[in-house]
Formats: sequence, C-alpha cells, structure tokens
Amino acid sequence: MKRSELLSRILITVAVLATVGTPLFIWARTPLIHAKIAEDGGWNPDIIKVNVGEPLHLKLTSDDVVHGFAVGQMDMQSVDVLPGKVTDITLTFDRPGIYTFFCTRWCGLNHWRMRGTIEVTGASDSPIPAEPALGEVERVPMYVTLGLDIDAPHEAPVIPSSQPSASSGRKLAANLPIDRSTDYYRANSPYQVFGELSNTSMTDSQRWDVAAYLWQSNTTAESLANGQQLYAQNCAACHGENGAGDGVFADDLAAAGESSTQTMTGADNMTMQTPVDFTDPTRMLGASPALLQGKILRGGMGTGMPMWGSIFTEEQIWDLIAYLYSFQFNYQGVTQ
Amino acid sequence: MAFAPFPVRPVTPQERTFRIEAGQFSYTPSELSVNPGDTITIELVSTDVVHGLYVDGYDISVEADPGQTATLTFLADKPGSFRFRCNVTCGAMHPFMIGKLSVGQNEWFYRSIGLSIIATIGSIGYLMFPRLLPLITAH
Repeated sequence: MKRSELLSRILITVAVLATVGTPLFIWARTPLIHAKIAEDGGWNPDIIKVNVGEPLHLKLTSDDVVHGFAVGQMDMQSVDVLPGKVTDITLTFDRPGIYTFFCTRWCGLNHWRMRGTIEVTGASDSPIPAEPALGEVERVPMYVTLGLDIDAPHEAPVIPSSQPSASSGRKLAANLPIDRSTDYYRANSPYQVFGELSNTSMTDSQRWDVAAYLWQSNTTAESLANGQQLYAQNCAACHGENGAGDGVFADDLAAAGESSTQTMTGADNMTMQTPVDFTDPTRMLGASPALLQGKILRGGMGTGMPMWGSIFTEEQIWDLIAYLYSFQFNYQGVTQ
Repeated sequence: MAFAPFPVRPVTPQERTFRIEAGQFSYTPSELSVNPGDTITIELVSTDVVHGLYVDGYDISVEADPGQTATLTFLADKPGSFRFRCNVTCGAMHPFMIGKLSVGQNEWFYRSIGLSIIATIGSIGYLMFPRLLPLITAH
C-alpha cells in the first residue's frame, strides 16, 4: 500500500467516524431527565441551567406513569413524557430568568408538586433591545396594590334568588352611570356592584343582572373558551368538571387532610380541606377578580391549592377568572 | 347442540351509557353487558393518573386524564365477549388492568353446558345399561 493511499484511507475512516460519531456524542451528552410521580421524587434532575439564546436540548422519559412537560409562562406546546419512551425537545430562551417547568398530565394527588426550574443566565446578544429579565417587569399583582387579604373570608351577605342574566342586565345598564372599565371590574366583587346600585330604583334581581352584564362585558367568548380549557386541564381534577368542588381528587384530599396542605402554622389554620365550590354564590359573588387572581397566583390559603404564579401568564389567569364567574352568571343571549 | 341455531330473543337496539371509573389498577364497573346492535357510550373517568380503555376485537380506544372525562361511542355490532384493557402505561400493575364487554348472550357457555349434559346422560346410561348399547348400535 502506498503511503498516499494509506493516508487517504485514514482520512476517510476519520471522516466516517466523525459523521456518525458527532451526532451520537451530542445526543449522549444531553442528559436524560427522568420523570416520576411527586411522591417518588418528581423530576430528576429538577434544576436545568442554560444561557440565553442557546438552544436547550432535553431528553425526557418517565419511570412510572404518563407525564407531560411544559415550561410556565412560555408559549409552547406541552409534550407527553411516556414510560419506556424518550421525548426530545429543544427550547430557546430569549429572556434571562428562572423559569418553572411542570408536569402537564395528571399523575395523582400531588401532580402539581411535580415542578422544576430552568435557570436562564447571560445577556441576550440579539440586535433587538434585550427584554428585561423574567420577573423584573411583572406588575405588582392587583391584590397587593389594593391591599386585599386573600386569606380572609369573603362571603356575600346577600345572594340572588335566581341566576343573574347578563342579557337582561345589559338592557338595564344602558342608562346607568356605571363604571364599565376593566379596572373597576377587577377591583370589585359582584356583591360590591350590587351594593353600589342600592340607591337606584331597581329590584334586587335587576341589580344582580347588571352585575352579570358588567362581568360579561369585561370578557370575550374567546377568553371564556381559553379559561374553560385551562380549567379542564389544571383545575377540574380537584374543583370538579362542573365547578362544584367535587373533582375526582376531592375525596382523596379530604382523606389526606393535613398532608395535602403545607402551612407553617400547622393544622389550626387549615379551614378548608375540600376544594372550593365555584357554584356557591355566597363565596363567588363576594370575591373580586383581583382577589381570585391573588389566590390563583399564590395558592395556599391553608389548603392544598397550588401556586400558579410561575406557570400561568397574567392573561391566562384573567381568562380563567372570567370562566370561574360563568358558573354564577347566565351569559346566554348576549353577543359582544 | 354445538351448531344448532340458538334461540335468540328479538331485542330492539338501544343507546346505553356507562360511566366507568378507572383507577390504579381496575375499572369500576369492570364488566359491561349489552345486546348486539346497541349503541354504547362509555364515559371514562380517571381517578388518579392518565388511563386508557381499549376494546379488543373492536379496535377502538379512548384516553382520560383526571378531571377530563372522555367519551367513546361505538356500535356493538360484533357479538361475543371482549376484553377491554388500559392502553396507557399507568404503573406497575398496568398490564392487569382489564375488564370485559359482553355483547349478547354467551352462546358457547350455554352450548357447552348443553353438550356436557348430553355427555353425562349418555355416559351414565352406558354405565348403568351396558347391554342397551348393542341394541342401539346394531342398526
């Protein structure tokens, strides 16, 4: 064999090895993230680090049941994580910050505890002005600016005798000097609106109808549909598919008692072990959207309610809240 | 007996809805009985993790998350007994999460009872009256 031939043989061999080996090497370097139910440890690893703008390759597999993967506050399609299979996903973050990734397929009572974080560091070098870090520009939640105590009871002392109708409320509201702004709607409970109309000549049920109209006019069919979808995927397992607090986990939560909650002061503060019934007018009509936003953002309240602040966007939470009120109000016959 | 036409009571096909709760690792109820020609709707309610329901023979399936009831509607046009099973890996005992769908009467069960009664009578007859056998077989 001539020297040049040997050299070219070696070169070709190296080229072949490199072609096959490089993707294999990159694939093998990507760590495999194992998903287990929260009781068995959740995600492993549960902290992922990446630089801004760099693609993050993830390989996910499940060690027990069907799980899902999505990153909170990110516009992405969630992927299923199946036992015995590996799911590949590539993400790119353009804002630094700490993101929460979470399980999207219900995997038991503690499904919502199955969360992890992605720490995105570094500065964006894109020509577009860098967006501020996640969490830096987020507006202070409304319940904080309003000084609402989201743990306090908020019962409406009076409730309507029948379901308030937005369509009859619209006719009544036509000549009323009421504030229709979004801020007014968010800061007040339907009961407060009912109370403010006490100086008019309207009957009680008419005043509730006006409140229903006000709530309806501050949402859209699209928002309600989006809220309904979020509700089905994230809330219905405990709060029930029809909002009555009778989801498939309601009994389990009551049975689990203290262990289903995490409070610092112990069992004394745990007033509600069962999920809230959104069809209960006393509770819902006494709550303002800002109050509900606080509850959804922070969770807790001495119950097993998860915190959703790191997962839902602000818009998603408002859509969800609009849907929650639809258990109280009749929006039939009203077009935007 | 094995191939004799089976007496079938004429039944009007109807629509039936079953609510099946799926939990690790069983279905409640786990046995469904319907008549051939019925339109079946199964509402699958999962009570812990994601479960599925696949009907053997019909080759159809549905998958439910807790909090999201899923429905499966089909025409029970094939008579017989069919397994239904969970087709979403739901934990260690997942392969044993099964149930049964009976479409129509279990013909072969009654036929086999009939056959075994005939066989019993025959063998007792032969044991008690062995001399009768040549008379029967003489022709």
